[in-house]
This record gives sequence, C-alpha cells and structure tokens, in this order.
Amino acid sequence: MNEILAVNAVDVTKRYGRLTAVDGISMAVEQGEVYGVLGPNGAGKTTFLRMLFGLIRPDAGTLEVFGRTWQSHGTHALDGVAGFIESPKFYPYLTGRANLEGLAGLDGGGARGRIDNVLDVVDLVGRDRDKVGGYSFGMRQRLGVAAALLRDPRLLVLDEPANGLDPAGIRDMRALVKRLAASGLTVLLSSHDMGEVEEICDNVTIMRTGSVVYHGTIATLREQAPEPAHRLRTSDDPGALALAVGRLGLVVATHDGALAVRGAQAHVDAYVATLVHHGIVPRSLTLEEAPLESLFFMLTESSPETLPNSLDHDPDLTGARP
Amino acid sequence: MTSTALTTDRSPGSTTSARTGRRPGLGTALSWELRKLRAQARTRYTLLGCLIAPALIVVVLNSQQRPPKDTLYGRHLHDSGYAVPLLVLGFAAQWVFPLLTALVAGDIFASEDSYGTWKTVLTRSVSRAQLFWAKTAAAALFAVSVLVVFATSTIVASLLVVGRQPLTGLTGQLIPSGTALPLVIASWATALAPLLGFTALAVLLSVRTRNPAIGVVGPVVIGLVMQLVGSLGGLDLVRHLLLTTSFESWHGLFTAHRFYDLLTEGLVVSAVWTLLALGLAYASLRRRDITGG
Repeated sequence: MNEILAVNAVDVTKRYGRLTAVDGISMAVEQGEVYGVLGPNGAGKTTFLRMLFGLIRPDAGTLEVFGRTWQSHGTHALDGVAGFIESPKFYPYLTGRANLEGLAGLDGGGARGRIDNVLDVVDLVGRDRDKVGGYSFGMRQRLGVAAALLRDPRLLVLDEPANGLDPAGIRDMRALVKRLAASGLTVLLSSHDMGEVEEICDNVTIMRTGSVVYHGTIATLREQAPEPAHRLRTSDDPGALALAVGRLGLVVATHDGALAVRGAQAHVDAYVATLVHHGIVPRSLTLEEAPLESLFFMLTESSPETLPNSLDHDPDLTGARP
Repeated sequence: MTSTALTTDRSPGSTTSARTGRRPGLGTALSWELRKLRAQARTRYTLLGCLIAPALIVVVLNSQQRPPKDTLYGRHLHDSGYAVPLLVLGFAAQWVFPLLTALVAGDIFASEDSYGTWKTVLTRSVSRAQLFWAKTAAAALFAVSVLVVFATSTIVASLLVVGRQPLTGLTGQLIPSGTALPLVIASWATALAPLLGFTALAVLLSVRTRNPAIGVVGPVVIGLVMQLVGSLGGLDLVRHLLLTTSFESWHGLFTAHRFYDLLTEGLVVSAVWTLLALGLAYASLRRRDITGG
C-alpha cells in the first residue's frame, strides 16, 4: 500500500448561504482502491467532487489529492487526476476528436499522442470526426471517459457515469469502469445506485443531506443488510399466512394485496415448498428489494433511531477511516 | 466497447505531461480559443460581413442624389473618396463597433456556462487566470480583425467607387490626396482604443451575467446610452469620460492646425475603461464557484 492517500478529506464543509451542502465530511481513499460515494440526489456528492476538482472552494476543512491541496499547489493539485462531474460536456460545434485535441493541448500537449488509444478504449473510433452536437448521450459519456483517460490519470473520478444511459449503455459503462479499475487505477465513483456501487466498488461512503451516514467496506455493509424482501401471491393468501406462523428466520405479512416475505433465500425456498405441499399454488414470487438496496434506503431516508444498532452505534462505520 | 487495454504506464511512480510534465502556456490556451472561434459560423460570417457590407454601403451612399448633409463629411460624399470612410466611421462608432466586438467578447465566457464546459476545461492543467487572459486576448484579436477588415473594405471601396480627389478638412482647408490617405487610415486606427474598451465591457458582462445574449446586446445598449448622455447639455466633463466620445478623437487630425489632445484623452479614457472592466471580470472569474453544467 502506498502511504500517500489518493484522496484525504478532513472535515470538509461547504455552505451556500444558510444551506450546508457538505457538512464536515471526512474521507480517505487509498491508491489502487475502487471507492464509491453513494447517496440520493442532493446528498452532497457532486458538491464534494467539485471541491475535489477545485471548481468550488470549501468553507472549512482540508482536501488533499495525492498529498496536494488547491491552496498550496494550484492546478498542480490535479496532477494525476481526471474525470467528470455530472454529465461530461463538450463543444457541440467541434468534432469529438477536435474536442480531445483541444483538451490534450490544455494538458500540455503530451496527451495528443494518446487520442487514438483512448478513442479505441471507449469504442468511439469511426465517430470521432463527427460533431459532438450529433452524439447520443451515451456517446458523450464515453467521450467524457476518453477525455479523462487522456490525462493518463492515477485517480479517475466519475460522477454518476451510468446516469441517463440505456441498459446496454449501463452495462458497457460498468464493464469499462471495471476494466479501468483492473488496470490499477484508483477510481472514485459517485452514484445513487446501490447496485452499481456494489458491483464495482471495494469501499463506500454513503451520504445523506451533506453528511456521512456510513463509511466502510461493501462486505461489512452487506453483513448489516436486512434479509431480502419478496412479494408473494398465492391461490390462498390467508392459508399461506397461517403456514408461516412459527417459521424461524421468516417474517410474512399481508401487504398491498399480497404477502410480503422477508428472510434468507433458503428459508423463502423452503416456505414456498411447504405451500405447494399443502396445496397452495404460488402464482408469483418477485424480489422487491435487494438487501443492500434496503439498507441504502434505511440509511438515507429513515430517521437515525430506525437504523440497525450495528450501524447506529459503531463509530467506525460512520466516520472516516483512521 | 472494445476490450482494448490502455497502453499507458500506470505504475505508481510513472510520470506523464498531464501528471507532472510541462504545463500549458498562455499561447496554448489562446490557440485553443482561436480554434474554437474559427470553428463557429458566427465568427466567419461576421468577418465576411465586415468585408462585404462596407463595400455595399459605399455603393449605396454613392448612388444617393441627396447626401446626408447633417452628418460629418456627409456633404462631401461625392466630392472625395476620402470623405466616405470618415462618414462610415462616424456611423459605425454609434452602435456597429460595439455590436461587432460583442458578438465574440460577450459570448466567449458566457458560452462556457451555457455549454456547461467550464468544468471540462478547468479540470485540465490550465489555470483560471490562463483561461481568462486567453479568452480576453482572443476577443481582442477578433476586435482588431473586425476593425482591420471593416476599414480596409471601406477605404478601398470608397477610393474605387468615388475616387482619390483631395479632401476638404474640418476647418475648410484642402487636404491633398497623398496626405488624406494616411490621415483616413489613422482615423480608423484611433477607433481601436474605444473598440477594445467595448470589448472589455462585453467580457465583463459575459463573465458576470453568464448570459451570452446580455453579453452581446449589453455593450450596444451601453454605447447608445453613452451617446445619449453625451448629447445632453451641461455634462461636458462627463462627456469627456465616456467611451463613445473616444470614437471622435480623430477630429483633431483634420483641422488646419492639427491637435492631438483629443487623441491622448481618448487613449487614456479607453485604457481606464478597459482596465477597470477587465479587472472586475478577472476578479469575478477567479472568485466564483463553478456550480453549473
């Protein structure tokens, strides 16, 4: 492990008038890590990333990138850092290649030789001489990744990279991020999609209204997650409910015209088998919420007293790593 | 997407230009701004208009049976090809020059807001200061180009259409053709200082309002208001401090005894307006949080 952290934020705060957009956030991202910043819209993720890029200035706290700060190093603070905030934006009257050439120039010119390479990585070869104004949303996202890779970064910051993409685009973008992470890049990924972060990241910070509500590994988070919730419809819901009484590891209740079944997958499977054995026909069984998704909603929408005790009282889970 | 691997070295100790190598200079940022300007149809059409429109205006003016006698050099329209450029210069100073320079200067900062591209360029290795001066220089270069093309087209067309007759001076003296040409060229050159002043005003509006429309229209409105104020009686001191008054500083070149006080005053007033507007714009851009886009 390299001792210099890729990102080291300590008590970073940003206020807009009376609104505190980011409230004393601390975060430590190690080099080589794939790190997720998760939270609903308005949680302060993008504000934090804008501070990281020096686009806005924090009102309090320190924010170091590879040991450098904007206050002491100016634009050198971004050496080795690249990415995009929200959706990447380009000059629509220029071609994709011309945009990249201009940005390469603003990086000192050495990046110009990498243009063909990064266009190939994001699969935009053949469309690079079209004007960006004619690009689809997904193509612009990929051009954004290409523009970031031009800087040959050690830290790649991606803010909601799959936002607005169709399912195929989401699949491709996630595959690209995974591939880049596998190449040794440190990746800081912001998202409001638990599934995306779970699939890609090693560690995660979950934010809510400007504050950190969880900080730790995905594995630890998974341990804290509640059992998955299923929606079950049968030929005899009252009978099915009666058969659930006393079953260990399973909670069944009527909900919205069906049965809400919460428990480990093995218990749910055994319960369904029991129903069939008693002549009750299951008509549909659908997964309502993935466990981590349930936990995410609990962390970001519920009041603190409803959180699982393990999350509410463990300081290691809600603060910065030492 | 392809499965092509990045061929760049990602070892922790590796260095590249974007990481630690040579930084982009102001020249790089300026050439990027100029490339963007060249790629925009508006820029090309404006310069084309500056080439064609003055020639057409000269032809139309020359065909007028009754020249505009209440305008400076209007009565000498058919007498000398050197009178026509001075007439056009007086007209252009009213609102055409502020508009032409504002087409680029009023848009060059605000368009980054409307395209949402501040975050694209400010997350590279270039500083806000470099971008500010590169954009300002690009806008100034465009203003100079507009003036040169406009002046050249007007003077050449006038001499071709009307002729190279001697010019009557403002005090009634006759200025020979050989002397009139450099004086006419110098007159157009004096418009550069206030033109750059309006460029700086457009830059300020572009930075502050983040709205391209206000950045373009604002300088024209300000220019017209200045002219209105300048035409009011009892405001002589204020009139001298107006940017639009500097457009008239060439008058001293066409009197029997030339005087240069107006030229000096015009340069100083224009410089003050320019520095003030650019200083405010620079401070504003340096301080602002880039939250949009």
